[in-house]
Amino acid sequence: MKTLIIILTDGPYISEYAEMAAKVARAALKEHRVNIFLYLDAVHIPKAGQSPSIFKNAGELFRDLAAEGVVIRACSRCAAARGYLPEDGGVCKDYYPGIVIGSLYDLAKMLKCSDRVMALTG
Amino acid sequence: MDGIAGRSAWRAKNYMRSIFYLLDRAPYGSEKAYGLLNAAAVSIKMDLTLGLYADGVYLALAGQDSRLLATANLSDILYAYPEIKVVAHEPSLLERGLMNQELIELVDLADEDYFLNRMADADGLVVL
Repeated sequence: MKTLIIILTDGPYISEYAEMAAKVARAALKEHRVNIFLYLDAVHIPKAGQSPSIFKNAGELFRDLAAEGVVIRACSRCAAARGYLPEDGGVCKDYYPGIVIGSLYDLAKMLKCSDRVMALTG
Repeated sequence: MDGIAGRSAWRAKNYMRSIFYLLDRAPYGSEKAYGLLNAAAVSIKMDLTLGLYADGVYLALAGQDSRLLATANLSDILYAYPEIKVVAHEPSLLERGLMNQELIELVDLADEDYFLNRMADADGLVVL
């Protein structure tokens, strides 16, 4: 089984990358492992309580992906800079469940483990 | 692997992955370059190349002083992590009139073919 990493840097609605990543991840998950790393403004994606009027709720998309087995980590430095603070185990009360604030070293581990790297960045 | 899904433990441990980090933005004024350099810095156990392209070549200039910007001097990160091979795209330097400027000694110049081949040969390409 091969492994895909998707790296995102945009916030949820400034581009369609979050939704695109969710579609790619869901398709890949049928045959492969998928890791997603949320970097820079992408740490906004899993914020709970979003209510977009015309787009799919990016937070819910990523919550569902995590529930289906996609490993999703958010950069701690980027998260802290934007007011998301981790509690025990990297859990963030502002995030949907299943998405964890981790360290940038998680990105290095994900890259090392990956067979394909997909960076969707603006 | 701390829960991160991945290839077999043996392969992950023994295979030297190569990652090409592409910087095509100016080094100051946004978090992009800082983010890319930090991502590269935590990946030094892999075979790393930082490719400076388009406005990213400004990071190659010697004598950067970011104190008035109240931000980190990004060239210091290059000095702190000599494991990162840094190549600057020569045509980008030429287009910006920078070929006569003093460059950081850690930076190698790369013509179009070398730059693109190195990017294509890497196991992974990261652009922020």
